[in-house]
Amino acid sequence: MDDLWGNIDYAAFVGLFCIGLYVVVAKQNLIKKLLGLNIMETAVFAFIVTSGMVDGGTAPIIGPGATGPFASPLPHALIVTGIVVAVSITALALSLIVEIYRQCGTLEADELKGAE
Amino acid sequence: MSHWLPLAAFVPLVAGALTPAMARGRPGLARGWALAVTAFCTFATAALTRRVALEGPFSYAMGAWAAPLGIELRFDEFSAASLFICVIMLLVLVYSGPYVRRALPATRIDWYYSLLLINLGGMIGFVITGDLFNLFVFMELVAVSSYALVAVGGGRTAALAAFKYLVAGAVSSVLILFCIGVLHALTGSLNMADVARRLATVESRPPVLLALAGLTAGFLVKAGLFPVHVWLPDAHAIAPSPINAVSSALVVKLGIIGLLRIFPLFAAAGAVSLAPLFEALAWLGAISVLAGAFFALFQEDIKLMLAYSTISNIGYIVLGLGLAGELALTGAGVHILNHALIKATLFLAAGAMIHQSGHRTLHDLRGIGRAMPWTTLALLIGALSIVGLPPTAGFPGKWYIALGALESGRPGFAVVVLVGALIIFIYFARMLNAFYFRAPSHKEMLGVSEAPASMLGPVLLLGALCVLGGLLTHWPVALIAPAVGRLAGGE
Amino acid sequence: MSFACAILIFVLGRHDFWRAALTLGASTVKLAIVLSMLPGSLAGTVYVYELLDFPPGIGIAFRADGLGMFFALVSSTLWVVTSLYAIGYMKGKHARVRFFGFFALCVSTTVGIAFAENLLTLFLFYELLTVCTYPLVIHDETPQALKAGRKYLAYTLSGGALILLGVVLVQHLAGTLTLSTSGVLSPAAGRPALLATFLALVAGFGVKAAIMPLHGWLPTAMVAPTPVSALLHAVAVVKAGVFGLLRVIYNIFGVDLLGLLDYTGWLALFASFTIIAGSVLALAQSNLKLRLAYSTVSQLSYIVLAASLLTPLAAIAAIAHIANQAFAKITMFFVAGAIERTTGRTHIFELAGIGRVMPWTMGAFTIAALSFIGIPLFAGFVTKWFLSLGALQAGAWWFVLLMVISSLLNAAYWLPILYLAWFREPRGLPRGVHEAAALLLVPTLISAAYVLLLGITSRIPGMPFSLAQAAVRFVTGI
Repeated sequence: MDDLWGNIDYAAFVGLFCIGLYVVVAKQNLIKKLLGLNIMETAVFAFIVTSGMVDGGTAPIIGPGATGPFASPLPHALIVTGIVVAVSITALALSLIVEIYRQCGTLEADELKGAE
Repeated sequence: MSHWLPLAAFVPLVAGALTPAMARGRPGLARGWALAVTAFCTFATAALTRRVALEGPFSYAMGAWAAPLGIELRFDEFSAASLFICVIMLLVLVYSGPYVRRALPATRIDWYYSLLLINLGGMIGFVITGDLFNLFVFMELVAVSSYALVAVGGGRTAALAAFKYLVAGAVSSVLILFCIGVLHALTGSLNMADVARRLATVESRPPVLLALAGLTAGFLVKAGLFPVHVWLPDAHAIAPSPINAVSSALVVKLGIIGLLRIFPLFAAAGAVSLAPLFEALAWLGAISVLAGAFFALFQEDIKLMLAYSTISNIGYIVLGLGLAGELALTGAGVHILNHALIKATLFLAAGAMIHQSGHRTLHDLRGIGRAMPWTTLALLIGALSIVGLPPTAGFPGKWYIALGALESGRPGFAVVVLVGALIIFIYFARMLNAFYFRAPSHKEMLGVSEAPASMLGPVLLLGALCVLGGLLTHWPVALIAPAVGRLAGGE
Repeated sequence: MSFACAILIFVLGRHDFWRAALTLGASTVKLAIVLSMLPGSLAGTVYVYELLDFPPGIGIAFRADGLGMFFALVSSTLWVVTSLYAIGYMKGKHARVRFFGFFALCVSTTVGIAFAENLLTLFLFYELLTVCTYPLVIHDETPQALKAGRKYLAYTLSGGALILLGVVLVQHLAGTLTLSTSGVLSPAAGRPALLATFLALVAGFGVKAAIMPLHGWLPTAMVAPTPVSALLHAVAVVKAGVFGLLRVIYNIFGVDLLGLLDYTGWLALFASFTIIAGSVLALAQSNLKLRLAYSTVSQLSYIVLAASLLTPLAAIAAIAHIANQAFAKITMFFVAGAIERTTGRTHIFELAGIGRVMPWTMGAFTIAALSFIGIPLFAGFVTKWFLSLGALQAGAWWFVLLMVISSLLNAAYWLPILYLAWFREPRGLPRGVHEAAALLLVPTLISAAYVLLLGITSRIPGMPFSLAQAAVRFVTGI
């Protein structure tokens, strides 16, 4: 049990991830699917960022008077890249959605099946 | 010499990003530019492949920061796939010239080449990186450009297929990123070799297991294995034909190469054993072989048929991975390369037929063998290869995988390999009948002319490569032998 | 060699004359090449030529040993004859370029099968043969032909897959695929594995060898043009199956190993059943070509039976019968084709009195029929004689009885035809019908002459029979 409380943040992110996955799979509206995708991404980003935390660590800026321990700076750098990727995917998906709406007049996946 | 490694990956990326700006107001420049860049990459990867064949794997530290702190690029035997990627991309670009002129709106042509170059850079980067996070980034570069390329032709079905592909791809990417994060949290490193070393001492079992399972599942979605293949047929059948060739021949292989990259990470880990996973992979692969071949039987649309055949062939490769013996791994490795050649041939030839005749079902294409003899010939060579008839390129992979199945005492899987080939032969026979022996469904079919030279040339060259790839099997086998030895030995 | 010719035919084939000249020229040259290797082969020399080594360790390689030589000789001789006939038969029909192109391809793959050095090469050419004969079977492009083609493909490809399974098993068990005199498998592999290999290979090759119950494709494939039927039944396809079986029995398993295991007994039983059942079914057919087809099913099993007896004398019978059956059956198909082409008749009851109008043609038919019945001095007798001797050598006297029954059955379905043709008044034949065209008649007579030659000269050295003996020396290592 200690493990679970010690890592409560991780459990929360896994929960968030699952919510996102559920939205992607279960919702028929394409925009909702995209939102679900974004929730998943957010969960992962938050997870990776917090994994860089060190107990009692400070911001990893080396300067006069800076003493350890420092939080690991690497995850933050990674997540900046990750966010860029996620934004580009979202942008592309939105443009596809606009295109689909223009062509088919609906965004519900079950209705689109009939439209194909 | 050593700077070739980063250049091979980054030149096409930068060039791709620059393409729309450069080609603005100068139509026709984009293709030449893309060709020149790809030719450069081909040359670079050829040199790198030669070096790896002579000296074994080598690394390059980006910005002279040594691993594990810096970003490492590592060119090993599997990275030699980049040479195949470049060659096929080169042929696809040559082929694209006349194709896109008719298939795409003029304003999109520059973007088309731009996306293809980014796709190329991403693929090369993916196979040569030694860093987990870079793996993810390159993977996303490939994925995003592929989503866009599926939709580039326009039309409602294209956009829908692209969206479906995007959702499946993005969910698997997020899963992969999540697991990379888990690995980083566990080991504090992202360098593959370093992660492998540190994982060996990790005690706690659940997170390692989670990372392994998540990465495997994510890459399997990318590879389009049955039953997580739902995105593949639409995306591969609706996109423009040159894109089909790239995505079906190359992009799905990245999922497999991803698997090849992550398994060594866990090989030394004491906390998990890979054996149950391999068992599951072998079964999944076998099911995919049969299911893909079976679905392909019921397709009338020639491109859909080829898309399902891709699922079947990915199944072969995964089966080979799952059997995990030295022979089976050799088979999987060889089939990764040879299937790329074969599928590119098939899609480009089918694309030429559709382009020239305007029809895409077997029924409508009857009699095309007389109108387009050379293209049909190349298509049939490709089809024979996909069946796995010796001495074509499809044979060695299946041969080794079947031998590997026997070696590991699993004759049932050897039977699966053969039954899969047999089912595929049936649709080969259907094509043969339709193209040559049935009376044309459309009168104008006999008036259809052969594709222009710049489309026909790549198709024929690939057809020839399908045969050569089979005859010269000992080259790739010898090339990947050390890597296979490491992989099989590490387990 | 004939491969190059096939390509030339596809390229140059628009022109009638060149096509004919090429086909004939190539077949003659090929025969000459094969013949030039003959003396060496008789003396026991083995020519080996390694083409390339594609997956490491196994490659495409050729070797001309006794058995292969024999088969190659038979098929290239028959190619010359059949080409001649086909040129006459196909005159004025459609898609002749394709026809002759694939025809040449078929024969070249057959020779490839004959000279294969290892099982993989054998398999490769065997599958190519399937692919090349398919366009010939469906040549008429009628729905019936396409259906027959599908059935043909379904049968042979399943067989091919089984063979491949067997090949993989052999490679796994023995580590090599090279055909060797004493066999490559050893008893150490264990019975279940050996049984699986044997079953896979025998069932696979048995499809083309038309062992019952795997014979279904053969009568259906009769819709093909007659030269194709001749090719399927006498030269290429069925003989390829039988040849594969011989290779499996003698060169993969080896006589000694099979003597140790008792699988061949079962094979012999199947073959005996096929001999009888094929004959009975043949009796029931009224279409001449179908009767020929079932007779083929029956005759092929002589070879299989002989091979499964595992004695040297029976081996001679097996190998000699490849040639005997080939020449006799091709004669009969030529005759059937000539009659069909000249008078349009395909059923046996329509043949009354045909011998009076087409004496030479029916004369050839008579020779072949007598050979099948097994009258001394005809080729078929040699086979039956040695087969019976071989059976006695193996201590299985009941096979001699089988020979007698089978001869009676053969007599029962050939003699009525002869009776009809020679002793009944011609009925309803239009006036002016006479002997078949020279291009059809000459090949028929040549092959009939061969049947006689094979029977009469079996003891003279240098004739095909002595080659069969040389082949036996090679395969059994005596």
